[in-house]
Amino acid sequence: MLCQVCKKREANVHFKEIIGGEVRELHLCDICAKEKGWGESFFPGFSLPELMLGLTKLEIPPSLEKGPQCSGCGISYEEIIKKGKLGCSLCYQNFREYLDPLLEKIHGKVYHSGKIPKEGRKEDKLDRKVYELRKKLEEAVRKEEYEKAAQFRDELRELEKGGRR
Amino acid sequence: MRFQAMANVTSRWVKGDGPEAEVVFSCRVRLARNLEDFPFPLWAEESKLKGVSEKVINAIEKSKYLKNAHIIDMAELSSTERRFLLERHLISVEFTKGGKYRFLTTEKEEMLSLMINEEDHLRLQTIFSGLQLTEAWRLIDRVDDELEERLDYAFLPRYGYLTACPTNTGTGMRASCMLHLPALVAVRKINDILKGISQLGLVARGLYGEGTEAQGEFFQVSNQLTLGLKEEEIIDQVERVTHQVVEQEKRAREALLKRNVIQIKNEVGRAYGILTGAHLISSQETLELLSKLRLGIGLKLLPGFNIQILNELFFLITPAQLQIREGRELTSLSRDQLRAKLIREKLSKVR
Repeated sequence: MLCQVCKKREANVHFKEIIGGEVRELHLCDICAKEKGWGESFFPGFSLPELMLGLTKLEIPPSLEKGPQCSGCGISYEEIIKKGKLGCSLCYQNFREYLDPLLEKIHGKVYHSGKIPKEGRKEDKLDRKVYELRKKLEEAVRKEEYEKAAQFRDELRELEKGGRR
Repeated sequence: MRFQAMANVTSRWVKGDGPEAEVVFSCRVRLARNLEDFPFPLWAEESKLKGVSEKVINAIEKSKYLKNAHIIDMAELSSTERRFLLERHLISVEFTKGGKYRFLTTEKEEMLSLMINEEDHLRLQTIFSGLQLTEAWRLIDRVDDELEERLDYAFLPRYGYLTACPTNTGTGMRASCMLHLPALVAVRKINDILKGISQLGLVARGLYGEGTEAQGEFFQVSNQLTLGLKEEEIIDQVERVTHQVVEQEKRAREALLKRNVIQIKNEVGRAYGILTGAHLISSQETLELLSKLRLGIGLKLLPGFNIQILNELFFLITPAQLQIREGRELTSLSRDQLRAKLIREKLSKVR
């Protein structure tokens, strides 16, 4: 088997990664493996995922070839897809319509429920509360717990009024 | 050569004093963070990288946790010096390429470190011995809060912390454990275990095949998802799954002993014999033999030995560690000689 990086020498370092039952393998020769930092140390350490990701191809939606550029960094979505890396924080807003399906594919969900910067914007914290209340409201409706649902709806209205003030 | 003082001590987390250290070598949590108003490092011009590094270093200098940390400019290092930091798990492969305005910050014990202008503006990490993910998370969470008081992180409520790669968006967190699973490999249960881990939404990684037998007994388990879950939920999941794997490995070790104690004793004893008798030894062979001794300790076949000595050896014998300790570049042959001497010295102290 030939090395997947140089495609010249025989592969003799083998790497396996299993995600969601799907096995991905990577076969490299000694020289390329050393370049990737897998060489002689006892374990390639914590950098492997990044390496594997570099080999994952993302698809470019046809509508986007030579598409719009980000107002923050001037990078097009096509370039982002090619490198698999976004340009700046504004890319997240400018390319939201393409990013949402991509993030859903990667994570299954598109709403953050972890930590929020303590010194961050008040709106961010309000946004989180509104999101959590909406989820509770949907859940209550689904379970046909209408009294609870009404309570959540009132709380939501109250919050949204507060947010506009 | 730099780092000679550092090379004479191993990182705090190598000491092997954490819980379940016989199976769990180490655990690590890393957070990816970026600053608002600056492009991500991959696309940023030098002036922007400079701007980011100044802001971050300024925040570090006021940090309770990092104010006494070393700040290392990657551009000033030789390739052996960079390799030294890589072997100590302080930097990524990507970072060994160096470049202007790329810095590593690490406190003395190397449990807490930060790369500036890697793939993201900040890559903060904590490494602990054994299975202490919750402790690693608590520490990194506090340091992150402290830095955030002085830095404007790129954040949106919908997407969480904004990162250069969409696979890190949200918490920006990767929690992982490095496991030594020689018995599960020997009883050929490892593939089922790894598949099981992956079906729980985690990632299992390892090397296998000819030439990588020793590394073939080490595996990494980490979270795959970063968006939609709370940090504590991710930590809890990785920790719970790791506990289960540890139990399986312990059971496999018992089974191995019952099945063929003479064969195991033979392998461990021979490994000890070669390590204490060799005058030239490659790192590959060393790793393979150390892995056997490590299993021997787990099976209580090596009285007087402890995990700490072995864990330290795993680190001391890698090429850049040897060269930095010696203070000069060495040929492969003289490394093999020096490595053998070091191992003989360390192991003779035990018995």
